Amino acid sequence: MSPLAACRDGIRRVAAAPLILAGVWLMTMLAGLPLALALRGEISSHLGTSLASEPAANGVNYEWMQEFADQATGIGTTLRPTILGFGAVLDNLSAFLDNTSRPIVIVGAAGMYILLWLFVAGGIIDRYARDRATGVHGFFSASGVFFFRFLRLGLVMLAVYGLLFSYLHPWLFDRVYPRLTREVNFEPTAFFIRVSLYLIFGLALGACNLAFDYAKVRAVVEDRRSALGALASGLRFVRRNAGAAVTLYLLDVGLFVIALAAYAAVAPGAGGIGWTMWFGFAIAQLYILARLWVKLVFWASETALFQGRLAHAGYVAAAKPVWPDSPAAEAIT
Amino acid sequence: MRYLRLSAAASAILASCSLVSAQSMGQMTPPRSPRNASYSIDVRLDPASRTITASEVITWRNITTKPVDDLRFHLYWNAWRDDRSTWQRERKLGRTVRVTRPDDRATMDVSSVRVMNGGQPVDLTGSLRFIAPDDGNADDRTVLQAALPQPAAPGSTLTIEIAWTAHVPRTIARTGAIGNFFFIAQWFPKLGVLQEDGWNCHQFHSNTEFFSDYGVYDVRVTAPKAWPVGATGVVRDRRDNSDGTTTHRYYQEDVHDFAWTTSPDSLERTARFEHPTLPPVEMRLLLRPDHASQAERHFDATRAALKYYGEWFGAYPYGHITIVDPAFQSGAGGMEYPTLFTGGTRWFAPEHSDDPEDVVIHEAGHQFFYGIVGSNEFEDAWMDEGLNTFGEARALMTWYSPMYLQQRYFGNFVPYVFKDVRLDREIYWNRFAGYRRNPKIDQQSAPSYRYYPGLGTQTTYNKTALWLNTFERWLGWPVVQRTLSTYFERWQFKHPKPDDFFAIANEAAGRDLSPFFDQVYRSSNVFDYGIQELRSDREGDNYRTTVVARRYGEATFPIDIRVTFADGQQAVEHWDGQDRWRQYTYDRAERAVTAEADPEHVLLLDVNATNNSRALGPRGELGTKAATKWSLKWMIWLQDCLLSWSMFV
Repeated sequence: MSPLAACRDGIRRVAAAPLILAGVWLMTMLAGLPLALALRGEISSHLGTSLASEPAANGVNYEWMQEFADQATGIGTTLRPTILGFGAVLDNLSAFLDNTSRPIVIVGAAGMYILLWLFVAGGIIDRYARDRATGVHGFFSASGVFFFRFLRLGLVMLAVYGLLFSYLHPWLFDRVYPRLTREVNFEPTAFFIRVSLYLIFGLALGACNLAFDYAKVRAVVEDRRSALGALASGLRFVRRNAGAAVTLYLLDVGLFVIALAAYAAVAPGAGGIGWTMWFGFAIAQLYILARLWVKLVFWASETALFQGRLAHAGYVAAAKPVWPDSPAAEAIT
Repeated sequence: MRYLRLSAAASAILASCSLVSAQSMGQMTPPRSPRNASYSIDVRLDPASRTITASEVITWRNITTKPVDDLRFHLYWNAWRDDRSTWQRERKLGRTVRVTRPDDRATMDVSSVRVMNGGQPVDLTGSLRFIAPDDGNADDRTVLQAALPQPAAPGSTLTIEIAWTAHVPRTIARTGAIGNFFFIAQWFPKLGVLQEDGWNCHQFHSNTEFFSDYGVYDVRVTAPKAWPVGATGVVRDRRDNSDGTTTHRYYQEDVHDFAWTTSPDSLERTARFEHPTLPPVEMRLLLRPDHASQAERHFDATRAALKYYGEWFGAYPYGHITIVDPAFQSGAGGMEYPTLFTGGTRWFAPEHSDDPEDVVIHEAGHQFFYGIVGSNEFEDAWMDEGLNTFGEARALMTWYSPMYLQQRYFGNFVPYVFKDVRLDREIYWNRFAGYRRNPKIDQQSAPSYRYYPGLGTQTTYNKTALWLNTFERWLGWPVVQRTLSTYFERWQFKHPKPDDFFAIANEAAGRDLSPFFDQVYRSSNVFDYGIQELRSDREGDNYRTTVVARRYGEATFPIDIRVTFADGQQAVEHWDGQDRWRQYTYDRAERAVTAEADPEHVLLLDVNATNNSRALGPRGELGTKAATKWSLKWMIWLQDCLLSWSMFV
């Protein structure tokens, strides 16, 4: 199977399972909602019955925002104009690439969110591997079965990503970058050096991400219990199919870029209250859906590529298995 | 009669032409300053070794009424000689200190000092010693004292010859070199200012700038051939030397400092400022190649400063100005020197945000408050930085509005402009946010060099701009304009003190403003007025409305309290703001809908604006709706943030 075909197949598989997309969207909503409600309470309490509410409701009351953020602790400190529109995306992307620290509450929420993803990852990949409905029971059973395996894999991922962000990133951006740009007084040169370092870091990150993705795919498709075994087999697959795996990864990254570009064009600004507020929120949620869709396409297309390359065509043709048979069991015909 | 008129007009034109011609040569006719500290300097730059070799002849006159038996010189660059200087020790307070490599450091070694005595040179080198008048730091070498063979009598003139060598630091505190870009400031042994109570010659502090007497500067800079040089004053002569260098002679009268820059990469652009009532100014811009497309933006911002400062405060007298666009990460940006200043922009610099316009207007504005009015930046930094921040904010918003918030991402390279966030003068350009975070950090009347390092700017720049703008909103622009223009007129080419400014403000306002200055200048108390309570309950046919206004902060200021009723009628109360609280009661047919303390937002120093008002009814419920809106906006940001992290799964 070619990377392009795998990408197409991945898109088809995601489209064929809209409930998964809806489910992860709901999960993302629920992950954010408690904190958003807490922030709403903080803002409401700070504004009280002040007339400062009027410009804050009708647009941006920058003075109030600064006052609020200065007096707030925890999540309140993150309420800044930089959350507006496409700026929010740049803010997060830049913080990610520049390894900017976030308040502990946000880190905690992110940790919980990652755990949720680890839980549903098995069910999602299982669904895409089978390429037909597994039902709610089947989905959560697979999620449950693979959760602890993925948790173990998660520890390896934590160690690897931890190394990347704790050692490689500071080395690249706090040591190499200053060294390379020490006598640079021409900004474009420094900019291109920085972009190059982002590429190097991105390559390292992408390579690890690729290996972990195929580790998850092999763990599910081949019903592997060992996280390290799945990682080793994932790495083997990537090594033997490097061109296809990397090309597919880049195609998926392309989808991510398209999602960002589309949102950049339509991202709502501050707006007012009433229907415009909800309209803006709906547009933003479409963007969130698009991001989630891209993430699912990564997994679905990688699953398709893996199945296509190892010629496990029987996965999709086999009779409906009885749980807890793994997708790999379906191939044993 | 007709002949006389023509003759007068011709004379005026000729006088004007000769004035312009003189200005183009760096001359000021008649002399505008005492010219009691003039420098003739020869300096040679060796870019490879980053060293300068120089000698100077200072012609100094004692303009006090007392004799003096020593001379004191600033050797600013010695602040970066090692980590034990006062500058370095102060920098360590509240800031991250950059690790300095040995070759990044600066040195300034005076090899000889001679003074002419009755036509005979007397060598003072043996009497030289470093002193630390501010903190007694024995390791500080930024003030050099030389004992005179005999006291310099009042009115007497000394000729002092000094030779020195210096190592150019990697740019620090807006001077030094990076790559092939050199910005050389505070680089020569410079005399302190002799006052009636002795030398005013402070050590170099991390928080403050400089102070010196006016004079004539005649400087010959030798740099590699084909490297453009920009400097204080105007170039009078360029001479190519046989060793591949060129000597540029720069000359300027009635200035109190001299800075210069050179880099082979600089592009040179010129333009002219013209105005119906202000003298023309030739503008010279030394621009970095990556900013080639931004030349007009630099000129435009300089024009804005020359126009508005000229119209509001007084004319720029020199006839020429040099704008230096500093190199990337040179750290030389945003600094003022007589007839020359550094801007600061970026490769990606969207219009309608801050740079380069903000910094260019600010530094061009310093030509007025710093360059022409020579206050003491060591002790009263607010008198130049604060006044200038006020002027900058006013000029910027008059010339450029609207401007929008800009944020930079990805290593601070990629800008994004938030078109929803329009920047206003009162809060943003007066730098209110910084002040509010640390309103009590220092009392403004303390000597600026004793402000807490790293946060002193908030007292110097921000607080002054805010209280001046409050002054403007309180008593009106004509009073403030009269204050500043009178101050500019009376104190140009002199060294004013704070009381001189306050006296003029009292005079312009026609009243004693001491209570106001006691609050904003002689105290670090915080202003915070608010509406503590608003109730409007039906009692019979009427509504009884009760408003409690409160002074939460320690500082006092007269404010208005405005109550608005449902029929649109308003009651405005004038409160002297002295008591801790004040109650107002109304019995009216209509219910009150809002109560506001300081409704016109006169008091810009109020650190908590949200508590300044309360509303009843639907307007009072907007807070919840606004909270919903902003929490939804924030949730999108959070979801996007979580999705970024989900890459790890």
